[in-house]
Amino acid sequence: MSVYLEKLRHFRLAIKQHGGIIGAYLNFYRTDELKWGDLIGEDKFGNKYFQNRHYFIGRSRWVQYSDAVGMDYDGSQIPPEWHRWLHYIGDEPPTTAPPVKRSWMVDHKPNLTGTPEQYVPYSTVKPKITAWEPPKA
Amino acid sequence: MAALRLYSVGKAAHTVLNHAARPVAIAASRTFWKQVSPPDPSYEWRDMTDKAANTIFILEICKGLGITLSMLFKEPATLNYPFEKGPLSPRFRGEHCLRRYPSGEERCIACKLCEAICPAQAITIEAEPRADGSRRTTRYDIDMTKCIFCGFCQEACPVDAIVEGPNFEYSTETHEELLYNKEKLLDNGDRWEPEIAANLQADYLYR
Repeated sequence: MSVYLEKLRHFRLAIKQHGGIIGAYLNFYRTDELKWGDLIGEDKFGNKYFQNRHYFIGRSRWVQYSDAVGMDYDGSQIPPEWHRWLHYIGDEPPTTAPPVKRSWMVDHKPNLTGTPEQYVPYSTVKPKITAWEPPKA
Repeated sequence: MAALRLYSVGKAAHTVLNHAARPVAIAASRTFWKQVSPPDPSYEWRDMTDKAANTIFILEICKGLGITLSMLFKEPATLNYPFEKGPLSPRFRGEHCLRRYPSGEERCIACKLCEAICPAQAITIEAEPRADGSRRTTRYDIDMTKCIFCGFCQEACPVDAIVEGPNFEYSTETHEELLYNKEKLLDNGDRWEPEIAANLQADYLYR
């Protein structure tokens, strides 16, 4: 019986974390899941990262994508420093162990395939063979 | 009516005769019998409904639905990608990156060891001396559709320039987007360097 009471308690915690019934419903619509946990941090794109060791590894860390992207969330929207934490490569989130910042580093970009900003390959060298140009008489 | 009576008398006479002849009869007469086939079903209403309920396995269906219901309250065994992601190793071999020194100078010195060792021959390098006299690549192309992600290139590299980063979410809609040139690889390195550096640091004892 206590097992079921605990389930009920977790359910109530999840509802509370998502701001009531409506918020929980909207979150469930977006993520197909209702979970509760501690907010570990937020990246500059607005993605929020949560952890709850009550769930097993693989489910114990999760991301709530920024509201700005709506339903167009994508796995590639996670910046590298949080990517490392979310994939359990390391246990230190960038909030406690910030990565070294160099001047030449650039901001993270999601996978842009299918958009006008997608990568298009080009040659980085001059062509070795050129068309013959007839001499001007 | 007379015929019926005659028949009844005949039947009774047969019984009497049969009993009388028993002491001297050779074949034993059957005085009792046992039914070995299943008894005929009862056609009472109650019994018939019981039988119908058993026929459609109502109990078993309820049991099965009960298990289904209990699974609702169980923690699922699957990951809810992309919100949850599975564990990766710091040595994970994903998308290629060209790294830079902390000063911003690119590491690759165009030794072409990666090109030589690549079993899929996915790497193409052309090199020229730069204006300041240092040897650099002018072309560093990787055909990601040829690459088999064996990691030989990063093991061959003497300056840790080419690495296979932790990113695996670079699927594209067209083939040409996977023909990476030097600019794209350096750009990848500049984006993923925080994680690449941390992963190399995590593994430095084994390198």
